[in-house]
Amino acid sequence: MVDVELRAKRDALEYLWRQGLSGRPLLHRHSQLIDDYLAGLFNNCPEATEGMSLVALGGYGRRELFPYSDIDLLLLHAPGSEDRLGVVTEALFYPLWDAGLEVGHGVRTLDACLADARQDFFFQVALLDARHLAGSAPLFGAMHQAFHRELIAGHRGEFLQNMMQHRNNRHQRYGMHGYQLEPHIKESRGGFRDIQAMLWVSHALFNLQELQAIEEAGLISSQEKEAFGQAWDFLIKIRNRLHYLSGRKNDQMFFEYQEEMARAFKYSDTPGTLGVERFMQDIYRHLHTIATTTDLFFEHVDETLGAPRANPVEQTIEPGITVRQDRLHLTGQTLIEKRPHLLMRLFAQAGKTGLEIHHRSRKIVTANLHLVDDKLRHSKRMAKSFLDVLENARDAEGVLSVMLDTGLLTAYLPEFEQIRALAQHDVYHVFTVDRHLLQTVAELKKLSLHKTPFAGVESPHVLALAALLHDIGKGHHEDHAQRGSELVTGIGKRLGLTEAETACLSFLVEKHLFLSVTALRRDLEDDAFIRQCAEQIQTPERLAMLYLLSIADAKATGPTAWSEWKGALLLEISLKIAHLLERKDATLPDKSQGAGWMLAQVRALMGKAAPADYGILPEEYLLSFPPEEVAHHLKLRAGLKNEQQAIVEAGDHSLFWSVLIMTRDTTGLLAKICGTLALHGLNVVSAQIFTWEDGTAVDVLNVRPAAEQTYAEQDWRALGEDLNLALKNRLGLSHRLVEKFRTAFRAPGQKNVQAAPRVVIDNQASEQYTIIEVFANDRPGLLYDITRTLADFEINIHRARISSDGDQVVDVFYALDSFATKINSPSFQAEISQALLHIAEKETGTKPQW
Amino acid sequence: MKKIEAIIKPFKLDEVKDALNDMGIKGMTISEVKGYGRQKGHKEIYRGAEYIVDFIPKVKIEIIVEAAMVEAVVTKIRETANTGKIGDGKIFVLPVEEVVRVRTGETGKEAI
Repeated sequence: MVDVELRAKRDALEYLWRQGLSGRPLLHRHSQLIDDYLAGLFNNCPEATEGMSLVALGGYGRRELFPYSDIDLLLLHAPGSEDRLGVVTEALFYPLWDAGLEVGHGVRTLDACLADARQDFFFQVALLDARHLAGSAPLFGAMHQAFHRELIAGHRGEFLQNMMQHRNNRHQRYGMHGYQLEPHIKESRGGFRDIQAMLWVSHALFNLQELQAIEEAGLISSQEKEAFGQAWDFLIKIRNRLHYLSGRKNDQMFFEYQEEMARAFKYSDTPGTLGVERFMQDIYRHLHTIATTTDLFFEHVDETLGAPRANPVEQTIEPGITVRQDRLHLTGQTLIEKRPHLLMRLFAQAGKTGLEIHHRSRKIVTANLHLVDDKLRHSKRMAKSFLDVLENARDAEGVLSVMLDTGLLTAYLPEFEQIRALAQHDVYHVFTVDRHLLQTVAELKKLSLHKTPFAGVESPHVLALAALLHDIGKGHHEDHAQRGSELVTGIGKRLGLTEAETACLSFLVEKHLFLSVTALRRDLEDDAFIRQCAEQIQTPERLAMLYLLSIADAKATGPTAWSEWKGALLLEISLKIAHLLERKDATLPDKSQGAGWMLAQVRALMGKAAPADYGILPEEYLLSFPPEEVAHHLKLRAGLKNEQQAIVEAGDHSLFWSVLIMTRDTTGLLAKICGTLALHGLNVVSAQIFTWEDGTAVDVLNVRPAAEQTYAEQDWRALGEDLNLALKNRLGLSHRLVEKFRTAFRAPGQKNVQAAPRVVIDNQASEQYTIIEVFANDRPGLLYDITRTLADFEINIHRARISSDGDQVVDVFYALDSFATKINSPSFQAEISQALLHIAEKETGTKPQW
Repeated sequence: MKKIEAIIKPFKLDEVKDALNDMGIKGMTISEVKGYGRQKGHKEIYRGAEYIVDFIPKVKIEIIVEAAMVEAVVTKIRETANTGKIGDGKIFVLPVEEVVRVRTGETGKEAI
């Protein structure tokens, strides 16, 4: 039997492979073997004479036959030879089938070939690799010529668009990056299909058939060609072994094969990392090389050949950076050398505008990485732009991902290099460490869009940094959280964070698993244990950040790491700790003891010396502050004499500052406070607003400075004076705010797509209050305008939470109407919404004169 | 044969699992469940915002044993999962008609 001969030959090939024949030579040897065998069959078949031609297609056509690849064949025949076809196909294909080979076969005339190729893009591409095996050479030649003449020439643009379309669809189907736990080395991003896509396009469009030729034509650089070639060779060896190991046509790196493959490629374990992890890291890095090179290639070719894009006019958005055809461009090499932080500015602009960076500028970034030296890594400007991306970019993950691709991220944060494309050999972590970190940043962003408990932290940039860096210590044999916390201390200092911010960052990285682990493994009813947790976490702000980080981390890990069930446990432990932290002395019993108990504590602190009317303190107020603070407020109240005089007390809590304001409650008080704070360059992040029964307002606002400024530099005395003036209605806040921010507004004409403002009035979420949420594009004085508007409606605000998400701010107010009841009337709700939308939609609330 | 279903606090899972392994019980099915009994859901207020915790996360363990083993297993779970506080969980014992091992087709005691 003829198939026995073929089996023997293929067994011999496997034997040669075991002896060390690998890579490309194995593919060629395999192709040659099949070529010879098929030519033998064809030539021994008497019916297969003139008017017939046997053609290899696809990968076989390219002589890239992997051990279990399909063998794609075309039997081309001239019209009139139909009666002999049956015999010939039996003689050719049966032995292949009998030998267990996967055969893709077609029997067509020349016209049918062309017609099918017009209909089916896959067949069209397969024909591009057509190679004559046996039979009539003139017939093959005619087909080859007709194919190029009718389907390729004059259809170059169409071919490119089709190819890009298929490539995108494939990436969508197999994941946008090859960093999954079990990468598909043929179809996923950076796999063989991407290599071929580039070669097919070069062949069809420019008649370039080798990497060498593509480089010489200037479509890829010589460095790119070098890395690309290495990656390609590596992946060929991997795929050969994968086929033999699986005993079938399998192109996916299944988890169960990974260790055996790693051993075969001589990767051994070292302290801290497994051999298989470094092996997978190499695979990911090679897939990544191919993905980025082909991305740049396609963008380049598309630009050269594709339809012209909109907005051909060039617009400079800052010196050295322009927008042309909806892409960001770096201009001027000399400028970059003089001001290397432009490299980071480019990404800050990408984050802000949502525009992509032009492929040539991405290459410019890579070519200038030598400029990122120690000095630049300590540069304030650089840090500002970097943090801007993290905190404000609309698609932070996307921008960071390009930053990683260009090499800028690892040049700027060298600590990142260790975990780049680092795999973790377990079924729990679906992504490599670097991808997981970027994903965590994205998940954190998503959390800020939802009504999550603890949402809206005082220093979002520290939290975003923690998300990006929490696993930075992986890949060593020590505890990665501990090592990470040491590494980020250095990073925090370099980025110019304050000491408190750096300490907080280090804490978050060190403890990033704490809540998730303890929520599952410890008894949450154990008060002593909860107290220990509170002692470790120290402040409500840290707890809020840790809570958000834990969720984002779990969601970014993989489908098994997060569930609603775990979320409920995490919330439970966090709320328990939070209640303890809200009081300064964590050893006191918790506040479920009630207001009466709190009052007794306050009385004891006040002593007999300072009698006070305790009846004026509302229950909710008593439950919101530690007894010491209540006593302090009572003492301040005694000094509050003049009807309109306000007492202003500032406090430094390192991550934010607090301002305590005590005065007689009046309509519009909060608006006046917010306006005065804005006038003094302070952004409100949260507010607690209380009114005692005797009409004393006790407002505590947490603020952050708008400009880089220390607590000591802030002129608190002037703030107090201005607030008193404002309360006496002797300070025109509206016009002063316009004056102050005249220059701070956005430069005209700058492109900035903004989300539409929204107002949500919710009576369900809180039993006691109506919750008014305002989503608006941030601008100076916005909070002043909103609170003034609410004051006009005689709405009392009892709590406020102000957080920002990129350019949008989310202001949440817990409010009651003038009768101290919820705002139930639909028409009144609509009126309030309209008024607030009017404020939010104003480009600048206080119309500056340009 | 009986099926024992135990609903316990999540942090007790490892202890209970180890204790059962020590008694020679090697197979069990574990799932994350939510529910409430006498330990009702509750409302939490934090910084003015209210969070309703209506179902409480628990772990469910399912084990099939011969009738003779039931008492020992139930006692062991009870001892191990007990914290003495509300919400420690419940154990149910149900009759099982037949067990079949999918791979071999063995039935009854052999298939457990």
